[in-house]
Amino acid sequence: MTLAPHQHLADHERPPVAEEIRGVRRARTTPPWWFALPALLLFAFVVLVPSARGVHYAFTDWDGLDPSFSFVGLDNFSAMLDDPDATAAIWHTLLIAVAITVIQNGLGLLLALGVNTAIKSRNLLRVFLFAPAVITPIVTAYLWRNLLGPDGAINSLLGTIGLDGLRQDWLGSPQLALWSVIGVIVWQYAGYSMVIFLAGLQSVPKEIHEAAAIDGAGPVRRFWSVTRPLLAPAFTINLMLSIIGGLKLFDQVYALTGGGPGHATDTISTLIYKDAFTLGEFGYSIALAVVLTIIVAVASTGQYLVLSRNERAAS
Amino acid sequence: MKTRQLQVLVAALTTGSLLAALSACSGGTKAGSDDAGGGGSKTLTLASVDQGSVEDVVKAFEKANPGVKVRYTTSGADQYQQQIRTQLSSGTAPDVMSVWPGNGNPGATYVLAKPGYLRDLSDQPWAAKLPDVMKTVAQYEGKTYTGIFGQNGIGAVYNQQAMEKAGLTPPDTWTKLLDFCRDAKAKGTPAFALGNQDNWVTQLVQYALVATTVYGGDPDFDQKMQAGQATFAKSPWTTALDKYLTMEKTGCFQKNPLGTNYEASQQLAATGKTLGIIQGNWVIALLEGKNPKGTFTLRALPATDDPAETIIPAAAGAGYGVNAKAKNEELALKFVNFVMSPEGMNLFVEKQGGLPSLPDTGFAADPSLAELSKFVEAERTVPFMDQLWPNAKVQQTMLSGLQEIFSGQSTPKELLDDMDADYKAGS
Repeated sequence: MTLAPHQHLADHERPPVAEEIRGVRRARTTPPWWFALPALLLFAFVVLVPSARGVHYAFTDWDGLDPSFSFVGLDNFSAMLDDPDATAAIWHTLLIAVAITVIQNGLGLLLALGVNTAIKSRNLLRVFLFAPAVITPIVTAYLWRNLLGPDGAINSLLGTIGLDGLRQDWLGSPQLALWSVIGVIVWQYAGYSMVIFLAGLQSVPKEIHEAAAIDGAGPVRRFWSVTRPLLAPAFTINLMLSIIGGLKLFDQVYALTGGGPGHATDTISTLIYKDAFTLGEFGYSIALAVVLTIIVAVASTGQYLVLSRNERAAS
Repeated sequence: MKTRQLQVLVAALTTGSLLAALSACSGGTKAGSDDAGGGGSKTLTLASVDQGSVEDVVKAFEKANPGVKVRYTTSGADQYQQQIRTQLSSGTAPDVMSVWPGNGNPGATYVLAKPGYLRDLSDQPWAAKLPDVMKTVAQYEGKTYTGIFGQNGIGAVYNQQAMEKAGLTPPDTWTKLLDFCRDAKAKGTPAFALGNQDNWVTQLVQYALVATTVYGGDPDFDQKMQAGQATFAKSPWTTALDKYLTMEKTGCFQKNPLGTNYEASQQLAATGKTLGIIQGNWVIALLEGKNPKGTFTLRALPATDDPAETIIPAAAGAGYGVNAKAKNEELALKFVNFVMSPEGMNLFVEKQGGLPSLPDTGFAADPSLAELSKFVEAERTVPFMDQLWPNAKVQQTMLSGLQEIFSGQSTPKELLDDMDADYKAGS
């Protein structure tokens, strides 16, 4: 925030009064509305219009192929309630989203705190921890599919260090498969959360910490009362990204387990794909997509409102 | 000043990219309509799932027809089925496309012929020559729509070196099969690799057992199902499923089949960590790729104690159909006829490791497929079961249901009842 006035100073070579700076800055940050028009038009044509046109198929029995189809009202939505695969998929999706949000951000925060200290080779560690996030999800999924196989590296490792009892059929057991998927996603994106937290941590002024330390606050108290409130924006972004990512998860699940064994790891997204492209039930799968959209919209808006209120309270 | 310049730049860039996007769109359409306009053009468009073999066929076709250019795309079955639907319903499908025999998947003959997307090929010279078992799946309502060039079988593919090392020979009865599994297990090398993590694999053992147990005693089972006179739950499908699970309990498969994928199962069989694998003949080329020194042969999987009763599931593979609105119909027909000629057909099946669909093409089958050819000649085969099912759901229910049975989430009775319910729901 101190950068702009400095620039301003250099431009005009006279010390400006505070009011003037603020006024100038405000004028600069509100460009004419039509500047946004190209982007808005593009968004409307590529996203809004096709999506809106797609939604009406949720109320039909279209098979994706036959040009003749009929309107069936809310049948697709009521069928969802009677479809154990759909209810299971909705449950899996919510579970994955919550688990990822909690574990990934918890881990991300711990990593960020760790590499924000003065430990040796911290830059190398940062790169190392962030690296998985830049790999294509489908690649990591195929990698882990082999690592988690019955004779894969994970089980071999457990055997080598004498923990044979812990060897598992990670992706083949319906009880474990969902957690294996969650584990892979956390492995990939914990570093991503870490980077955002790290940026937040580095914007916490040292002086406040020093002042708090002089006032007698211990490390835990300093984290809770100084760092945490100042990290609020980083929390908002991280939680938002991970909950949306978790809710619409597709690639990793599809490549790791294909939704199996049976339907044990099907999410709404994998079910949408299967119902549409394998079974040709486009109407039904678009109805599922509409439900997913509503869940994502509600969850992310709700979360945003709560978190941004906290953010305001904290600042 | 700086900020304002930046804003202008951003706006300019956005506008620029929007225009670029728009012009790219119109550019694509133009190229398409150019092709459509040139009626006498010598370009054929083709979409195929025969990656690895169609390339050679296209080359040979272009060589036989100088001046003709084939623009083709190849993709995996999943992706293809999704793409062809979109293209057909939006009128942008290619002239010739891969079409699966029978019914039951989104790219199958019945599914595409019913709404009129395929051209009737009954007047083509090869149509009448197709064997009856092929006709049932290449035709819809008595008209031929799909040029089926090859057929595939499911059986036990043995790794000869591993078998010799274990001192075992392929069993030809059910009792011997179970003994074989026990002996193999005792020697530390399970009999068969099973990659049930990929759900399509789950069906192969079931099909191999159903062929003999269901169709051996009742060749008209499909007609009875269609007429509503039979059900899965009250047919020998239960026996076959029971035998599948008996094999699992006897230790015929390696540990954790649900955590093992198709790729990993090939690795096990190719490297002799199992004595073989129950798969389609297409796996032989893949096994040879993983172990070039290995010898692999396909044998029938027995399901009863009389070897003479054994039947192999052998079915038409994906073939080619002509778009009813083909931009270059003449060339499209020429291509399908080339595929169905001895030259095209042999080129395809040799590369894919299957058998040709028409007799008398002079094709010399690979020795690994000797047993399959023998069964085909003796007409001891049945089509893959799903090819005559009324919708795709029956098969999908079976695939995920088999995974659920293997992981203790469901029972054979529940599965067969679900399949009956989906079958009755019709098309």
